[in-house]
Amino acid sequence: MTTTERETPAGLAPEAKHIRKAEKVRKDKRPPAILYILILLLSVFFIGPFLWLILAALKTPAEWASFPIQVLPDKAQWNNFVDAVTQMDFLAYTANSLFLATTYSVLITISSATVGFGFARLRAPGKKALFLVLLSTMMIPQILTLLPTYVLFSQIGLVNTYWPWILWGLAASPYMVFLFRQFFSSLPRELEDAAIMDGAGWLRIFVQIFLPLSRPVLITSFLLSFTWTWGDYIGPALLLDTDHTTLAVAITAWYQDPNGNTIPTVQAAAAVLYILPVLSIFFFAQRYFVRSTVSSGVKG
Amino acid sequence: MARKWSRYPKKAFYAFVGPWVIGFVLLTALPMVFGLLVSLTNFDGSSPRFKWVGLDNYVELFTDGEAWMALLRTLLFTAIVVPLTIGGSLGLAMIINRRLRALGLWRTLFFLPSVVPVVAMAIMWKLVFNRDSGILNAILGVVGIQPIAWLLDPTAFYALVILMLWGLGAGMIIMLAALQGVPAELEEAATIDGAGRWSVFRHVTVPMISPILFFQVITGVIAALQVFIQPLLLTSSAGISKVSGVPDSNNLYMVQVYKEFFLSNRFGYGSAMLWIFFLIILGLTLLFLRSSQSWVYYEVDTEAEKEGATR
Repeated sequence: MTTTERETPAGLAPEAKHIRKAEKVRKDKRPPAILYILILLLSVFFIGPFLWLILAALKTPAEWASFPIQVLPDKAQWNNFVDAVTQMDFLAYTANSLFLATTYSVLITISSATVGFGFARLRAPGKKALFLVLLSTMMIPQILTLLPTYVLFSQIGLVNTYWPWILWGLAASPYMVFLFRQFFSSLPRELEDAAIMDGAGWLRIFVQIFLPLSRPVLITSFLLSFTWTWGDYIGPALLLDTDHTTLAVAITAWYQDPNGNTIPTVQAAAAVLYILPVLSIFFFAQRYFVRSTVSSGVKG
Repeated sequence: MARKWSRYPKKAFYAFVGPWVIGFVLLTALPMVFGLLVSLTNFDGSSPRFKWVGLDNYVELFTDGEAWMALLRTLLFTAIVVPLTIGGSLGLAMIINRRLRALGLWRTLFFLPSVVPVVAMAIMWKLVFNRDSGILNAILGVVGIQPIAWLLDPTAFYALVILMLWGLGAGMIIMLAALQGVPAELEEAATIDGAGRWSVFRHVTVPMISPILFFQVITGVIAALQVFIQPLLLTSSAGISKVSGVPDSNNLYMVQVYKEFFLSNRFGYGSAMLWIFFLIILGLTLLFLRSSQSWVYYEVDTEAEKEGATR
């Protein structure tokens, strides 16, 4: 958060004056107080659901169901979290999610860097056409291919295994390829010249010279793929059974009372635990998310 | 020229992009062709004794009232969600682009929901929308509004729209980058020429960011058309087997496809629905691309712009 704050002039920063001079009139005046009221209302909309989730996770079922509503629990019910972890094999599902997300993200990052390098620094007939195909596949809704993929994979026995994620990981993602291509294209040509003189092959140039330089993109790609896989619902729901499935699917399916109704307080606690990794990644690495969001939106 | 090409052995390029090419053929093209084949059968997902039925599924789809309803509903949903998302994220970006106190904090707060996994999003909003224990009805109750059953017909549709708008933050970040790319001199010059705030926005800012707006509209439309996990999870009884629990007002096209697959076990028919939908999306995208010349403003050198902006 602190790093991103520096990108634009924040009101309180001492250096703001210089920036104001440099930027001249850019949004001249201080915004009026009414704008802050609007911002507060918006914050309630964006943050309210988090707070309500946390409060629900700390209530007894009776407190949750009480009418009229009871906003705060009398006493924080931490045992909801204990129940969330013990009512189902929370650790096993977390391990599944971790394994799947890590494997996929490592593979997709390496494969996308490789393909992106090819498009950025190498040449051969057909390159332009292939790149156009790559760009247009970004437009194919993933969900359209997922159902046929599921049918196909169930015919060849890839369902209830993690193979689909390994295959998807090896195949590179058009979006990440694009990210890497943009980065590798921006590097000067002199970088590879010396290496070529020395007779190094392109693989060596890629691995020893370009890959280390692309650290920020590598991190972006890994974090983004990780949070995406951690959050994916439909993939594991279709392709994995109860034993192999991920936390995302498990927390929607478990936490039921004997009548088959979901226990909202325990499910809320589970949801809090489930989003913690994503939120911590976001808070510590917000700039990577900002960067990738920006480049995903400005390529038009 | 010859020397230049020896510097770039063709084999190297193909080797480097190979993983994607092979992956595209095996994991995107092959499933789609396979889906096309399945759409010509009455395959039910398990029994090996299916029949080729030719174009029967497509003919049936043409007169399938439920599918048509779902398609119209999806178009309506898209027509509501996309303008709200684009306008909302532009509005947020314009707020964040002012010289605010604690700017970083607000930006983080607005951006945060867009990274929350859809499952957690659905659990959260179901707690907010809960008829008796939800905070939304409690707040509305203060101003005297009777409790609303948000997750049932017909209000479930609005609940879904609200859920979609909660993820505005990603769009805001994109718009913010777009706004900050508008040269201050241009806006300044217009102001000196006597243009009011609105006309500066309308005649300077919007044309300058129109390529990005355009791209956001296209990706927004494609994304909104295929929405289906959100309605699936935003039911009072969530679960993959509970697709029947999706209220009618949230029965979007992909939900209907899903029902054909897993409720009716009509894999052939569902595949036909997918293919028609693919063609519709493709058609819409091409339509948008063709219309772009008339309202998207590109600076002189489009290629150079793109390279610079994405860096």
